[in-house]
Amino acid sequence: MNHLMQFSSSLQGYLAVGAILFSLGVFCVLTRKNAIGILLGIELILNAAGINFVAFSKFRTGLIDGQIVALFIMLIAAAEAAVALAVILRFYRLKQTIDADEASIMRN
Amino acid sequence: MNKVLLLAEILTVASALIVGFHPNILYASVFLLFTFCGVAVMFLFAGADFLAGAQVIIYVGGVTILILFAIMLTQWLYKIKLADIRNKMVVPALLSAAVGVFLYRALHQMVAALPPQTPEALEKFTATPKTAAIGQALLGGYLFPFEAITILLLGAMVGAVWLARPE
Repeated sequence: MNHLMQFSSSLQGYLAVGAILFSLGVFCVLTRKNAIGILLGIELILNAAGINFVAFSKFRTGLIDGQIVALFIMLIAAAEAAVALAVILRFYRLKQTIDADEASIMRN
Repeated sequence: MNKVLLLAEILTVASALIVGFHPNILYASVFLLFTFCGVAVMFLFAGADFLAGAQVIIYVGGVTILILFAIMLTQWLYKIKLADIRNKMVVPALLSAAVGVFLYRALHQMVAALPPQTPEALEKFTATPKTAAIGQALLGGYLFPFEAITILLLGAMVGAVWLARPE
């Protein structure tokens, strides 16, 4: 228990959580049929990247540059979510579904 | 203090597992909210007080609500398909696990390459408020990316409104 607590507050603990979040995000993107489900996976991936930046900024460099990059990641994720949801709403109006497999208009 | 951080990390990972594996998209997006809260607490313990606040405001208050709105607008509650996940899950699971392990090992090498901070420096870094420093940096050395991101946000906002316009 004590060992686990020490690990959780170390750089390795942060990196482990980041890696788990990243691989769960990749898994979510690969397995979901739903376009919104894919978006959930992307949000997990971006959060994992932010965790890694913040962890390195505290435990290694001691500068705030990592935090600023994490802030930019957050803003880009917000913009991306807004555009993606607008596209999903548009697609739903067109096809009455948000199944990503149905999005094949541009295939031919 | 360590206990709170450990609990936050367990909350983050557990709710991320639910986001990844729950077949119902509505439950998955509600548990994404708990993941974001856990990450905010982790930011707080890493000395990123401003980022923790921004995380709560942008992700918990903004993105999650936006996703829930999109679910409500596109699928009726009783019509949400329970089997939303594909049947073939072995290959994606192996692939994503391999990606995660590779990422952890690669970052581990980077950890070894960079010199560690002393415990006193870590204490000091966690205890200093960062808002003023981040503001100075955004209007100083990071002015160009800051302005670029404002244009990106404006473009994304206009684009989203245009895409979701009524017929």
